[in-house]
Amino acid sequence: MTNRIREFRARFDMTQDDLARKVGVRRETIVFLEKGKYNPSLKLAYDIAKEFKVQIEEVFIFDE
Amino acid sequence: MKKTIVIFVVAGLVLVSFILWILNTSMSWDLREILMILAGLILAGFAVYFGFKRAKSFARKEPAEDELSKMIMTRASSFSYYISIYLWLFIMYISDKTKWETHTLIGTGILGMAVIFLFSWLGVRFFGLKND
Repeated sequence: MTNRIREFRARFDMTQDDLARKVGVRRETIVFLEKGKYNPSLKLAYDIAKEFKVQIEEVFIFDE
Repeated sequence: MKKTIVIFVVAGLVLVSFILWILNTSMSWDLREILMILAGLILAGFAVYFGFKRAKSFARKEPAEDELSKMIMTRASSFSYYISIYLWLFIMYISDKTKWETHTLIGTGILGMAVIFLFSWLGVRFFGLKND
């Protein structure tokens, strides 16, 4: 699974800290997500997508 | 914050115990004793690092634990448990081959488990958790 968190963050002019605070996780978790070292829970994925006002599949791309 | 204080207290107790142990025993400073002291210092250092990490999170008003940190802890625990079984098998094997006392073997095993957990935690953090 890949994601476009960094891209959306830039679009919304958000720092990793801002996003972490908004979705209630540590900044480190956002770093891990952006590096592709961690796949989030469904709830966190939903919260992140909601923060960017898009559907989950627009932020997280599932490889077939 | 309470948990952070507990971590600092435990790290302090480990350090004090090690200092007392070094001062009150006639140490031969052989490789085994040096390794045990090093392992103890590394573990205490790790606990202090862990405490500072939590305190930093507290200061930044972010959660001290979240789904990633909990998952890293769970994965590191299960992996280190698996490896520890082999450590204890090895200790059982060397207990027949050496003249180490029982309390030394148990102490080595406990310290070994802690070191294995530390390296498992570092490994999981380094390689990440691609749970797909």
